[in-house]
Amino acid sequence: MTFLASIGAPYIPGWVELSPFIADLWLIGTIVAVLLTPFFVRRPNAACGLVALVGLGIALVSLLTVGTGNTSEKFRPMLVTDDVAFFWKVLLLIFVMGVVLMWFSTTASTLHEGDGPEFFALLMAATLGMSLMGSASNLLMLFMSVELASLPSYVLAGFRKTDRIGAEASLKYVLFGAATSAIMVYGLSMLYGLYGTLQLYSSTAADGSYVAGLAEVMARTGGISALLVVGIFGLIVGIGFKVSAVPFHFWCPDVFEGASIDVSTFLSVASKGAALVLLLRVMMAIAEQFGYEPNAITTSIAAVIGVIGAITATVGNTAAYVQTNIKRLLAYSSIAHAGYMLCAISLLSRTSTSTDFYPAREAAQAILLYLAVYLFMNLGAFTVAGLVHRETGSEQISDYAGLGRRSPLLAACMAVFMISLLGLPPFAGFVAKLNLLWVLFQNGGWWWGLIIAIAVNTILSAYFYFRVIRVMYLDSSTAPAFVGNPLGLGLSVVCSVALLLMFVGFSPLSNVTHRYDRLESAAATGAGPPAAQASRAAMAPRAALQP
Amino acid sequence: MDFLNQHLLTILIFLPTLGAVLTLLARGRDAVRWTAITFTAITFVISLLLFATFSWRGPEPDAKYAYAAGDSPTSNGTVQMVEEASWIPAFNVQYKVGIDGLSFPLVLLSTFICLLSAIASWNIEKMSKGYFALFLFLETGILGVFLSLDFFLFYVFFEVSLLPMYFLIGIWGGPRKEYAAIKFFLYTLVGSIGLLIVLIGTYLYSRGVYPATATNPVSGTFDMVKMASPEFQQKLAEILPGGLTGGLAKTFFVLLMVGFLIKVPAVPFHTWLPDAHVEAPTPISMILAAILLKMGGYGIFRVAYPLFPEAARELWLVFAIVGVVSIIYGALCAMSQTDFKKLVAYSSVSHMGFVTLGAAMMTTASMNGALFMMIAHGITSAMMFFVVGVVYERAHHRELGRMGGLATTMPVYTGFSTVACMANLGLPGLCGFIGEVMVLLGTFQAARSDSILMRSGVATHTQIYTLAVIACFGVVLTAGYMLWTIQRVFFGPERAEYRGFPEVDQREIVVLTPLTVMAILLGILPTIFFFAFTTNTVSAMFKLFS
Repeated sequence: MTFLASIGAPYIPGWVELSPFIADLWLIGTIVAVLLTPFFVRRPNAACGLVALVGLGIALVSLLTVGTGNTSEKFRPMLVTDDVAFFWKVLLLIFVMGVVLMWFSTTASTLHEGDGPEFFALLMAATLGMSLMGSASNLLMLFMSVELASLPSYVLAGFRKTDRIGAEASLKYVLFGAATSAIMVYGLSMLYGLYGTLQLYSSTAADGSYVAGLAEVMARTGGISALLVVGIFGLIVGIGFKVSAVPFHFWCPDVFEGASIDVSTFLSVASKGAALVLLLRVMMAIAEQFGYEPNAITTSIAAVIGVIGAITATVGNTAAYVQTNIKRLLAYSSIAHAGYMLCAISLLSRTSTSTDFYPAREAAQAILLYLAVYLFMNLGAFTVAGLVHRETGSEQISDYAGLGRRSPLLAACMAVFMISLLGLPPFAGFVAKLNLLWVLFQNGGWWWGLIIAIAVNTILSAYFYFRVIRVMYLDSSTAPAFVGNPLGLGLSVVCSVALLLMFVGFSPLSNVTHRYDRLESAAATGAGPPAAQASRAAMAPRAALQP
Repeated sequence: MDFLNQHLLTILIFLPTLGAVLTLLARGRDAVRWTAITFTAITFVISLLLFATFSWRGPEPDAKYAYAAGDSPTSNGTVQMVEEASWIPAFNVQYKVGIDGLSFPLVLLSTFICLLSAIASWNIEKMSKGYFALFLFLETGILGVFLSLDFFLFYVFFEVSLLPMYFLIGIWGGPRKEYAAIKFFLYTLVGSIGLLIVLIGTYLYSRGVYPATATNPVSGTFDMVKMASPEFQQKLAEILPGGLTGGLAKTFFVLLMVGFLIKVPAVPFHTWLPDAHVEAPTPISMILAAILLKMGGYGIFRVAYPLFPEAARELWLVFAIVGVVSIIYGALCAMSQTDFKKLVAYSSVSHMGFVTLGAAMMTTASMNGALFMMIAHGITSAMMFFVVGVVYERAHHRELGRMGGLATTMPVYTGFSTVACMANLGLPGLCGFIGEVMVLLGTFQAARSDSILMRSGVATHTQIYTLAVIACFGVVLTAGYMLWTIQRVFFGPERAEYRGFPEVDQREIVVLTPLTVMAILLGILPTIFFFAFTTNTVSAMFKLFS
């Protein structure tokens, strides 16, 4: 240790500080393990899948064993490990395990032998990026984790190398992604220029000095400036792209259609969920520093996010009407659901009637619960789509005709997913939506508009979700009957049962999400007043630079 | 036995679901049919057992509030046989079921009609397993709606009953079944989204009425018994922005009413009904008309009026007009139909208009009449749809213009049908008459100076008399189209094409006889068979209004 200190190595984190990141560490290990697999196995595809599954499983178990833990003051400026990050990582790992299982049951046979290591290394790398997105508390880390999630996703989208649609989708994804990343990094640089700090949360540095975070400085200086608008705009563009919020959603249906179905599934939940958690963290840190009081900055951000959310939901639901391809339909449906969840992030201030309302916790709770339910709905629906594709070679909704007779169990599962996505009892989609509406209701005020938007959108979406059910049960077909891959069938049944159980057991579910709805506080924990004073004094000239 | 007594209502609700599961497991068409019929029969018998435990001894003069089981456990103005269990403690959502004079007749009607329409479904050949499973699942939803006392539970059952109906119309329906099924579904969904908003909204404000205490850390309630108490209303008046007659209360009330009026259905939300009826198979039409429409009516009496009585009083004119327009417009539409089944469907719109009107007038007689109308219409409409089904099964068309002379070919059938038509048009001595007269009587009574509407000064004599007189014309129109229908279908010279028609068989008689008996019994002994249940509940409910 003395040697390390003598060469000026700044900081070696100990086990206690690293342990909350155990899942991320295991993911890195899994990437290596997957890449090494072909040296030991002749036909590595399935083996890589198993290695990835085991790696994810170990990551999940060890994360659950370690629990949430406290963020060390040293990590705080870069990465945090609060309850929300923990819960998101658990969800993500469960979901990616589901995706790997789904890969075995749907597209494993079509993957070129020998491509497995690359495929799973990319998948794990993207997972790592999304996991870090849930923890990032620094503008650089934020950008890096978004890129770590994006770059492998671009490749994954075009992984079917000989497929023209896949290549086109991948290219579209890259171009869109590159453009929005550029805008985001430009916006982040503006924020840095404006507030002089990269870290989101205030913290105490190793030498005991106080470092004010972005949120705190923003709250202290107040006032909207042109630079701030550009900065926030860049941030929303970058994250909006990942969430596929309107008007940055154009990639979503094309990529979902062009990519193989397991990749589409992966992107539909993991990518959007990670971006939502990230946006939640940034916005709530700012809102907290403003004390959840209405003010020019948070009110305008909230209005922008709320409006984007409502428009995203509406566009997703109306565009889904005309789709004939099941993957495109599910893509638009996922856009709509992202819109619903965005509405929760618009809760940045309290109204006068809701003094006992804690926007950060309520919004986090609503999003986590929604994601937990949404995960099973989408995984299930995509799995059924994949199984049908494998049996019939078609992704057209019209080829689902008579599925109720040809494959009753599969059709029944699909019906459950559609009803749940629509949000009707007795399935968990209902409680997810109810919980979200409830949170918006509690705040009242202009959020009533969002409640109405969600209500109208639910009605809009009924038609196209039920179109799938109608085709499966009401249209007749002479196409042959089939059973479907037992693993995939099992996965669909598990998802359906999970949705039913989460409806009946709404209470335990909401208890769990309430238990893990705490975001790290943006205020520094260990800072004494003198340090804060000094820091404020240091910030003053920079604030004066504002136009 | 004790267990049975304590959980009778839960058993009643979920027995059909058990039946649905067993139906899915059964092998062979006969086994499926018998399983389904057995389970509907057992459910019916269990609902009859309620007579033994339900008590409707005299009114309780000092019963504190509408439905609460308090110091007067023997009155039927209170809720009985309550079963409670916590479901979602975080929101105080309970599994709470119970029965009172409002729900008892409807529960009996539901189990009765479900049994009969299960028998009427005997000839379903296409995917009979799925059909009966959905059928039984639907029965669970229906009974759940009528028995739940928790608003959240009520909403869940209200929605759950929607899904099986979609499939039953969509898969086993006529040529335009897909259109009809999705139309039914979308219309009802629009209404239930409004319900959902009110559901969350009322809970939000109920938290102010029942704040968290040391013993009960969760604030608020979904309990409809608690919400329908004067104490709750008084507190709500202080909390709700604008009070009980303010914009928010009115919005909530209107959203509730729209949700239920779509289901009822009232003009202008009625257009799904003729389509759904025409396409649905006969037994499903019976359930749809006899029970599903009543879920709307029941919601008005169980949820909308007790929760927002003041807003209801303020807005009486709107809903009275909706009721009267439904009566007249429905009757006129029925008159112009050439399809027998569509005619019966529009007559449903017309008859359910009396329910809306009866609720809107807010007098004891009109409300009792409206409740009676729901039961009477349940009996007659089920009968009418079955009558249509019988002739359709033989003639394979429902064109009124091509019918005639069936009285000669099928005299027994004609006898049953005539009773059905007469009961439907409101002939004294049959069940339709009592409901119509009570509602109209109640409407005229509303013009008395001590009625709720007159006392609070929201209504004038002219308005009430005008509405009442127009509504009376509905009775004449009903008589007109029903008699004309009898004439076109049964009278006239015997037609060659119908000569070989077999008379109603035993199975059909088994369905028609109980309905006929009930139509007559309700017509001549309305008090014993009906008002004994409802009177006290309605008068208890009136304590909320005044």
